[in-house]
Amino acid sequence: MSASLSARAKPRNVVASRPLLLPLTAAGFFLFWVIVASLVYGAGPVTPLEVLATLVGQGSSEAWFVVTELRLPRTLIGLTTGLALGIAGALLQAMTRNPLAEPGLLGVSAGAGFAVAVAILVGASTATLTTLIAQAGALAGCSLVIAATRVQGLGNDPVRLVLAGATLSGLLLALTSMLMLMDQRAADEIRFWITGSIAGKTLATFQATLPSLVIALALVVVVARPLAAMALGERAAVGLGHHPGRIRFLITIIVALLVGAATALAGPLIFVGLVVPFIARAFAGPDIRKTLWLCLPIGPAVVLAADVVSRLIAAPAEMPLGVVTALIGAPVLLAIVRAGRMPSL
Amino acid sequence: MSQHKPIKRFFTAAAALLGAMALGQACAATHSVDTAYGTVTINSEPQRVVTLYEGALDSALAVGANAIGAVITRGGNDVAEYIKPLAGDIAIVGAPAETNIEAVIAARPDIILAPAQTNQQQYQLLSRIAPVVVSNVPLFQADSWEQETRLFGRALGRDEAAETVIEDVKARIAEVAALVEKTVPEDQRDATLVRWMPQGPLVMAEGLFSVTLLQAVGFQVTDNGLVGDSRPHSQPLSLENLVRMDQNWVFLATLNADGQQALEAARQTPAFNRLKANGQDRVVAVNGQLWTSATGPLAANAILDDIETALAKLAP
Amino acid sequence: MHRYRFTMPDKRTLVANLVLLVLAGAAVMTSLSMGTVQIAPAEVIRALTGTTVDPMAAFVINELRLSRVMAGLLSGAALALAGCLMQTLARNRLATPGIIGIDNAATAFAVASVVGTGIALAPSAMALAGAATATVLAFGLAGANGTRGYRFIVAGLGIGAIAGAVTQVMLSQVAIDDANAAYPWTVGSLNARTPESVQLLALGLAVGWLALMFLSRAVNSLQFSDPVAITLGIKLKRTRLLGLGLSVLMTGLAVSVCGPVGLVALLAPELARSLCRPGKVPLTASALAGAGFMVVADLLGRTLLSPLEIPVGIITAIVGSPYLLWILLRPSTRSLT
Repeated sequence: MSASLSARAKPRNVVASRPLLLPLTAAGFFLFWVIVASLVYGAGPVTPLEVLATLVGQGSSEAWFVVTELRLPRTLIGLTTGLALGIAGALLQAMTRNPLAEPGLLGVSAGAGFAVAVAILVGASTATLTTLIAQAGALAGCSLVIAATRVQGLGNDPVRLVLAGATLSGLLLALTSMLMLMDQRAADEIRFWITGSIAGKTLATFQATLPSLVIALALVVVVARPLAAMALGERAAVGLGHHPGRIRFLITIIVALLVGAATALAGPLIFVGLVVPFIARAFAGPDIRKTLWLCLPIGPAVVLAADVVSRLIAAPAEMPLGVVTALIGAPVLLAIVRAGRMPSL
Repeated sequence: MSQHKPIKRFFTAAAALLGAMALGQACAATHSVDTAYGTVTINSEPQRVVTLYEGALDSALAVGANAIGAVITRGGNDVAEYIKPLAGDIAIVGAPAETNIEAVIAARPDIILAPAQTNQQQYQLLSRIAPVVVSNVPLFQADSWEQETRLFGRALGRDEAAETVIEDVKARIAEVAALVEKTVPEDQRDATLVRWMPQGPLVMAEGLFSVTLLQAVGFQVTDNGLVGDSRPHSQPLSLENLVRMDQNWVFLATLNADGQQALEAARQTPAFNRLKANGQDRVVAVNGQLWTSATGPLAANAILDDIETALAKLAP
Repeated sequence: MHRYRFTMPDKRTLVANLVLLVLAGAAVMTSLSMGTVQIAPAEVIRALTGTTVDPMAAFVINELRLSRVMAGLLSGAALALAGCLMQTLARNRLATPGIIGIDNAATAFAVASVVGTGIALAPSAMALAGAATATVLAFGLAGANGTRGYRFIVAGLGIGAIAGAVTQVMLSQVAIDDANAAYPWTVGSLNARTPESVQLLALGLAVGWLALMFLSRAVNSLQFSDPVAITLGIKLKRTRLLGLGLSVLMTGLAVSVCGPVGLVALLAPELARSLCRPGKVPLTASALAGAGFMVVADLLGRTLLSPLEIPVGIITAIVGSPYLLWILLRPSTRSLT
């Protein structure tokens, strides 16, 4: 899905600015190979050659089944998760003007995870409900973050905000652990949901998140231009006829929808929303619209690549995806902090 | 200070109890049992039995002893459902891997029945409270439950009751075996027992209690070499590898909910629907608390009932 | 010649220490008397002094509860002392071992030796190695940017995240039931302690505290800017290294007993500072406050869901996080460092 979106993006952006063409193509190319890899490698006995045969229309029915019914949904879920988290991270960072504002680090994902844990405890179990609840939790977390940035001094202090977010995450994780202790019956299920992983998630969950993803992406289209204007300063944005308050509100909703959906699909994945915009900005520069376009292929590629690694690194068992994203993402965090100058947004 | 009075009274009672035991050893009849930690001498008929694992609770209740303390079942907040009616409002003294020794003290036992994996340090602490019978029966063997029931029966001074209970279970096994012989063709008796988890099924070991029962009534149960040595089950099996549990019969359990719910969850995965057992309605939803965690004669009867019900559905 | 000399604390610090000592003592008494079996304080004292006539009370107190309460006291004191020291060295109130990732790294290393990665060192030694590695990384990464301010802290956050992920990787390699069993320890619990690690911790804490009593003047002067400290005759580099070494020692040994119990190292020095004379580094007071805090937190963990147990790390996170959030989000935050 994202591949076709980014493909359509190309002609328009070629006119707007040439430099975007190369990174976008490169990212698309990379994404393509990651998708192939995610279809080819798996825990089962179907070999890469058989998969390739299946993809070109030959191969056994068993291989066909494994590829289309088991690996393809997982690939789809990985794509969606990466897309959602990448975009959410880019938006949150642009709005708070904080390169470290990442939904996972700031506690938005933990809010979604906690909400799901509470829901499981009281007996909710359908995919649709879980998605809605995760989004409600993400909305609460996101609103908290936005409110915190309005606290005087905090908005200008990127690192302090992150520390506050990390503390909030820690608190929510501890509360989730409490819930698991209080009800052993729910613990297995909660543990499954709050472990960052896209293994074993069904297409039903994916379908449940689709509507909100479409709405969120449509809103992104609406909000991208005013957000770019806000990068010039709130006064300039007001001068251009935009309403900063309204933009902030919209972005809160978008981030909540995206992060909630991603958490319902993959559990709380930290650092994805940090890494993806970080790479995108390296090519796109400060323009949020270009960054968003680049996030479309990069987000899915990062999550899928991490997922492939998580399958291979501990085979025949699987490692949680969240562990791999943390191992990739934490060094990026260190790099950002280590950079002599905080990249301004 | 008044709230401390009951406590004082309790300790006086405990002291009296200890004293009585000392006296009792002198005059009343005692008997001794061989345990994993040597021979233990026990007052002839213990009245307050605390059990530190599910098999011990099952055996104790089966021979008619007064069990007053137990650990929660894996994945539950209480003792297993199948035994709840008999156990009643029994005091909970911890989780399977984590005994709360103070809770054991509070239950004021005169005997403690403990699992084979009780370590030296725990054993020593526990034996300060009451005589501790640590099972010395090797795990994961076809007759483990039988030997254990005998051991605990003897410890509780109810040898005869234990023998009767074991004979009854054996008779039931023969009954169900005859039924299997009659209703299931010989080349269709291969089976597997799995615990269904959201991230994939765990294949249960061949030596597991319920599996030995399945074997005793005539099923050929295999774990396909997926389970490591002396482990109760395999790692979660990737859905891509579900063919490795593709037997004519699949007994499907979860710990969290009743088996029916697990079956519904499993049926949402396309890989599951390709199993041959599924096509022939030979997927039997079972309660995981009973099938993957419990042992003992009461559990045996409950499991045999489940098998019988499954076979009854099969008959034309 | 008299730079490292035992200095008597001032009167206010003395009073504060006394108050904290009494509070910690009260926490110990409460913790010893409460549990599934309630035992009156008078009986507790009789049991401790060996004058009780009740064998059960003696058993519960001396053999079940005492070792656990001691482990809590020691690890709380060590964590808080290490935290207070590191805050002073980094001149940053948030620079506590838990926040800059040292706890997590020590845990990761200790888990490595527990799950059998072929490394045959004892968990205590491994935890020390982990703590040292993380400290070197955190201070090394801070480099030219210095340890003041939040940048240093976020670098530590990254280190902690990596260490946490590595722990997860190792746990995912072992059987699922073993991993579940290791879970309480990875969030911080006093349930999994071994007598050897507690003895080592007691030794390390005694050495650390004594050394710090002789270093206290030097440590106090570290609060000032470098030129001032040098004027006061302090060998900066040596004092820093010593302080850092002691802090790593105590953190590593504490983690090998109780796992990464968060925020004790932050809250206890906060409390101690508010009680003691401003301008002094409240080392002993921090240790006493940490000891009391840990014992109370563990008491809550043992009793809230009894007979099941809440790992003490979850309790400290739930109690401590709101306070840390309040520090961070206060609009009128004074100089935080």
